[in-house]
Amino acid sequence: MKESPPNDTQLISRIKKGDERAFSALVQRYENTVWGFAFKLCRDKEKAEESFQDTFINVFRKIDQFDGRSKFSTWLYTIVANNCLMNRRRRKLEGLLESYDEPPDVEDEKVQKQLTAWNDTPMEKLLQGELKEKLDEAIQKLPDEYKIIFVLRDLEQKTAEETAEITGLSVPAVKSRLRRSRIFLRQQLHAFMNQ
Amino acid sequence: MKQKPLHIHTLSCAEIYTHLCDNLDSKLDSESCRRIKAHIAECKNCTALLDSLKKTVSLYRTYPAPKLPASIKRELFAVLHVEKGKAKRSVRR
Repeated sequence: MKESPPNDTQLISRIKKGDERAFSALVQRYENTVWGFAFKLCRDKEKAEESFQDTFINVFRKIDQFDGRSKFSTWLYTIVANNCLMNRRRRKLEGLLESYDEPPDVEDEKVQKQLTAWNDTPMEKLLQGELKEKLDEAIQKLPDEYKIIFVLRDLEQKTAEETAEITGLSVPAVKSRLRRSRIFLRQQLHAFMNQ
Repeated sequence: MKQKPLHIHTLSCAEIYTHLCDNLDSKLDSESCRRIKAHIAECKNCTALLDSLKKTVSLYRTYPAPKLPASIKRELFAVLHVEKGKAKRSVRR
């Protein structure tokens, strides 16, 4: 009978004892997760490469600190997110995002224009340059603290609870940041999607 | 400060605004979900907002990440090799 591959706990225990092959196996298991998450956060190949390297180097250096109380993947996501936050830029935009907690006044003519339905966009159009550029431009405007929440919840499809654990925020804070991020991105894309 | 008119329609849209952002694809069948769904079915503003929020998320989900560059792992293990060397030297001291 074929032996089943070691689980994360077994691999980590072997790494702690100095088993280099176990570390390679762990990298192989999570390389696409880390790469995908880093790229979605950075939206830049070079920065994602840097983040990928820093993440695994941090894992290597800090593996003894991993106590197994959370899932290994949660710990890993925290390291990628912290790498990203180290270079965070505080922006005036953050104040603007808080204004998205106010529901729109549907009686207002300007708001009415914002609430028109979007044209149907075939997915193949997504791959065309202009829309891709728009998507990049919009998400780059989001402060990193918000981008991390949007990427974890909506793109990596983590639950609100997991996202809270990864970022060290409360669940209500995750929900409120997610709401602001989604509405902000929608607003950014609205004119383009209505062409 | 001028107060916004709070007639029933506006107030309901305001409630919907908060809830639909929390759970875009909620399939829950609670009383509040049924009320939200009933409102959306009748309200073109909320329908447009919900659809465009879903499309926003879907566009970003479809956006492909490039493939992991092959060189990146080689570079990582080269850096880790140096790290291990450093760790061994510090243990000897």
